[in-house]
Amino acid sequence: MKNRPEIAIETRKLAYHYPGEENISSPAVYGINLSVKRGEYVSLIGPNGSGKTTLLKLFNALLAPTDGEVLVEGISTTEEESQTEIRRNCGMIFQNPDNQLVATTVEEDIAFGLENLELPSPEIRKRVNRVAGELGLEHLLKHPPHLLSGGEKGRVAIAGILAMQPSCILMDEPTAMLDSKSRQDVLGAVRRLNREQGLAVVHVTHFPEEAARADRVVILHQGRLIEQGPPALVLNNLQLLHQLGLQGTASSELAALLRTDGFSIPQEILNCQELVQSLCSSELKN
Amino acid sequence: MFIGTEKLSHIYMPGTPYATKALEEVSFSLDRGDFALLIGPSGSGKSTLIQHLNGLLKPSGGKVIFEDRELGSDSVDLLALRKRIGLVFQMAEEHFFSETVYDEVAFAPRNLGLDEVKVEQNVKLALERVGLEWEVVHDRHPFQLSSGQKRLVALAAVLSLQPEVLILDEPTAGLDPGGRLHLFALLKSLNQQAGLTVLVCTHHMDEVADLADSVLVLNRGKVIMSGPAHDIFARRQEFNKLGLSLPEVTEVMHCLAAAGLPARTDIYSLEQARAEINSLKRRLEK
Repeated sequence: MKNRPEIAIETRKLAYHYPGEENISSPAVYGINLSVKRGEYVSLIGPNGSGKTTLLKLFNALLAPTDGEVLVEGISTTEEESQTEIRRNCGMIFQNPDNQLVATTVEEDIAFGLENLELPSPEIRKRVNRVAGELGLEHLLKHPPHLLSGGEKGRVAIAGILAMQPSCILMDEPTAMLDSKSRQDVLGAVRRLNREQGLAVVHVTHFPEEAARADRVVILHQGRLIEQGPPALVLNNLQLLHQLGLQGTASSELAALLRTDGFSIPQEILNCQELVQSLCSSELKN
Repeated sequence: MFIGTEKLSHIYMPGTPYATKALEEVSFSLDRGDFALLIGPSGSGKSTLIQHLNGLLKPSGGKVIFEDRELGSDSVDLLALRKRIGLVFQMAEEHFFSETVYDEVAFAPRNLGLDEVKVEQNVKLALERVGLEWEVVHDRHPFQLSSGQKRLVALAAVLSLQPEVLILDEPTAGLDPGGRLHLFALLKSLNQQAGLTVLVCTHHMDEVADLADSVLVLNRGKVIMSGPAHDIFARRQEFNKLGLSLPEVTEVMHCLAAAGLPARTDIYSLEQARAEINSLKRRLEK
């Protein structure tokens, strides 16, 4: 991934109206200035209907901006001849894997994108086996995708994207249907590629525990970017989160309740370990 | 027995190389008015099991029992059964096909041949029970609603038959935290006030663990734990081994106990955790 620009995705005054929407004064997204660096893991949170999915679709040229622009590795998504390139570099994982599984066996499904790129068979075989291994799908390669469980389908969808070796991956609630182990497998695999190969990640999630592991959390509300920063700050701004119908992590919520009961606990608690450590070292010392 | 199974087995694609044993001798029962959770790793057979409970799938072996009678294959019997046992699929709103919320919710009662006056009564009642305002929504296109509202319409479409048992497959997948809390509060009131028997199949325990009376855990198509919620949740190590997780606040309490503090670990909600940590502090100060 050498020679790739430092900025994976950049938006300038980005706005989008869905055609035919009756209320022209409330665009789906509006005035978004955001850049995602190579190797950065950004999580995108916000209430249902705040524009998160629309923003992802704008990032990989499934939608074209009504106003402003999106640059993927410096290339505008409105340049039609570059759209294939953009979509290869910027892989999208949809909320429901049923919407992106196309082949009759798992291995053919994972290979689908690679075959479209006309890669040589041995290379396709190598990549399919590698991602199948990374996502624990080896034993399912010959199975038809429609008979897999929700979690297995989710991993097949992700494998098909990762096999393309994109520089950026866009995930729209990829774990909504997964059990806790599959969630860790899938997010762990993405995180590893993010750390080791500089894969940029934009992860839309409704789970504060997942957002807590990002490098940066961005909050959308009514199509506008209203807050961003490190997870420890953004996810502890409980007043704002609650106002939007969102929540902090269970540990940050519990820490806040205990603070009102007079416990002295630092502001930047995100997970169970941090909370327990803080409690044991001060209030509950025995 | 109110509802349950006896040695229920199911094989997908029997007699082919892809034959998969999805359920193996599954026995369980629920009492009228129970709030039960069905959990297990992805692929453990949860969705297969619930599709047997209202006759969408037929057993390869064993029986499904409702009010002490085995479900027969007689189609009249099944129609009556599906009226009494409502099933809400994963992402049910993706199957919407009507032009208005009214028609969507009215589909099932109309199918049963009720006259339009009775249908309208049922639709009004169902929308009211899920907290959607008739005046605001009944004329709207379902796709114009927010994700949270669409999910409520899907639930109303099942409640329109006034079932006694409500079975939900991942009912909060894709909902924001506010939407999740709202939906679970609604299920709680349907269970406690209206006396519906509720079975929820989910991977996300945080909001729902506190509501459950009983828990059934499947793994590889077999029942590996079943019983009162408190007994099952106490088996944390077995849970973790299966790749399942308990609510994060329960983990906090276990971590405090592991640090040598005399903390209770049968804690499943924020408020319970808050009360126990306050009480623990007082106990330690004595």
